Amino acid sequence: MSSLVPAMRHVRGFDVARPLSIGMLVFMMLPLVFLPLASIFIFGTSNGLDKFWAALTAPEAIFALKLSMATSFWATVFNVIFGLFAAYVLSRYNFLGRNALIVTISLPTAIPTAVAGFALLLLWGPYGTLGRLLAPHGFQIMFTAGAIILANIFVTFPLAFGVIKPVFDTMSHSLEEASATIGATRWQTFWHVTLPSLRGAIVSGALLTFARAVGEFGSTILVSGNLAGRTQTAPLYIFAKFNEGQIEAANAIAIVLALFSFLIFSVLFFARDWLDVD
Amino acid sequence: MAKAKEFLIPRPEEPASNAPPSAAAASVVGISKRFGKASVLENISFDVGEGEVLVLLGASGSGKTTILRIIAGLEMPYTGKVILHGKDVTELPARERGVGVIFQSYALFPKMTVEKNIGYGLRIRKRKRKEIKETVNELLSLVQLEEHRKKYPSQLSGGQQQRVAIARTLAYKPEVLLFDEPFGALDTQTRVHLRREIRALLKKVNVPSIFITHDQEEALELGDRVAVLNVGHVEQIGTPFEIYNHPATEYVATFLGAANVLDCVVRQDSIEVGSAQIPATLDKAKFKPGDCVKIVFRPEDVSLHRGDLPRSTHPRLANAIIEEIAFVGAYERVRLRVEAGPEECKTEETPFYLTTETPDRKPSKSIIATRPKPEASATRLHVGERVVVALTSFTVLPPQGGKGAN
Repeated sequence: MSSLVPAMRHVRGFDVARPLSIGMLVFMMLPLVFLPLASIFIFGTSNGLDKFWAALTAPEAIFALKLSMATSFWATVFNVIFGLFAAYVLSRYNFLGRNALIVTISLPTAIPTAVAGFALLLLWGPYGTLGRLLAPHGFQIMFTAGAIILANIFVTFPLAFGVIKPVFDTMSHSLEEASATIGATRWQTFWHVTLPSLRGAIVSGALLTFARAVGEFGSTILVSGNLAGRTQTAPLYIFAKFNEGQIEAANAIAIVLALFSFLIFSVLFFARDWLDVD
Repeated sequence: MAKAKEFLIPRPEEPASNAPPSAAAASVVGISKRFGKASVLENISFDVGEGEVLVLLGASGSGKTTILRIIAGLEMPYTGKVILHGKDVTELPARERGVGVIFQSYALFPKMTVEKNIGYGLRIRKRKRKEIKETVNELLSLVQLEEHRKKYPSQLSGGQQQRVAIARTLAYKPEVLLFDEPFGALDTQTRVHLRREIRALLKKVNVPSIFITHDQEEALELGDRVAVLNVGHVEQIGTPFEIYNHPATEYVATFLGAANVLDCVVRQDSIEVGSAQIPATLDKAKFKPGDCVKIVFRPEDVSLHRGDLPRSTHPRLANAIIEEIAFVGAYERVRLRVEAGPEECKTEETPFYLTTETPDRKPSKSIIATRPKPEASATRLHVGERVVVALTSFTVLPPQGGKGAN
């Protein structure tokens, strides 16, 4: 991530390829990335900032944003703790089926999100494998905020794990042995020695998970029921308002989400180095 | 062998015996260890006295690291006991043993400052903040790192990290200090400097210590006593002086620097090497006339003479032809060809093509002699010259291990 880019020393004089290739790169990204993003901002603010503000502060919009943040937060908390635990177990112990477990943990990102939502419905829904047994007792997790958290956990399952495990793998064993001979319990060793070395990995794993969960649409729309003011997250709100023809309302939230992801990835980009500084 | 002369200067505490100087602070009793079917340690026993430095010297694969890990509690022995200050700790986990391990990689905690690293042992023991601060300050000045207290390990040199690692273990007053090849990752100059510093430090804090190393020079300089290990068993334990000058086995003799080994036969009150009879008083219990044994002597124990030996000097070993003379800095190294041992004791056949060079076609062998600078410049020798070889000191190895006499 450092800015030390080696100069092309084998070219004498002015290198024409340099401005050409940079220009080409920007030009290719223009219709693919820059313009779509720019149009959100152009459209969203074209009717004046007060219209934009009104759309943003509509109760349903505020609710959708809050719900997205809350459900993503809890999914992130769970997946970071789980990822830490899974990475610890899978890098410290060797056992039969270890590789199978690693593959299974990584699987959810490869599954289409609609399939993930559908699978959750088939398990927990009123007629689902488990849901059928629980429904008579008044337990119904589908179509609640809980269902959104479950869906978020499922689709972001391997993200934190994937960032934390390589750090575990490369961590020297002698640090933990040294801590043990000094007199620390396993827990003290984990807390004082192992965890601090994972700081950077935990933060970036959490940010990745959170960013991915906030934007989740496919599984959420299936399991949440998409009830405005009750189980409607921000991406669902955009979709619903767009369908109703309220472009401005959709646009306001879209701007917030776009800025939000921009912020998270900036933090990821710059904070990683900072966190890993000894 | 470059520093051969240097460590021959006897230490003041010379001559010590095999017994540790005082009551054992740490003992290993009959330790063996297997990994699967491979036996890596066989019946290892030794003691370390209070304030004593014991060096375990062995080549890689001799099992020295495994012994250290067993004492630290990072590895379980197959049989045997580990006793620290009279307490059997064989069944205790590493964290309850109170030993200090200095790892080759230092194993300093990368996210803690020097201060925090040193105070770690006390923090997890829930000591008072004031007490921790005082101990850390004391140790920082002991290892002379006061100005580096706020730095992180990655900002320190290898030698400084090593000193932090030692201070970190001294903080909780360990029963014994274990050094796992502590100078392995350092360059030669730092290594020599640091081991002298650490020896002085250990004498100051008076904590019993066990070093492991494969470097014989390091072992002789650091250790109050040295245990030489060879594929999972102890060949010999003794002071550096004993180990170097009176090796008990051929392995010890050749592992600790250059040694000449020749076959010989035990006779009444002497041994016979080639055509020479060398007077020797040997232990009658171990040596019987007619036994085939080996005589061991260091290159610096060889004295070379032109013409006849003066009377009443050292015993004559053989006549020899100088094959090669090399200048190696502090001294001159001479390779000589001498008659080999008696026919009856030939252990290995000297191939015919190796013997054709010698004028009399008798079986012969090369030996190495070194001469200090003044002697080398006083009497110049030349390749091809015939000289008389005498021995100022030698050791006779008994038929199967055990201690010889001279």
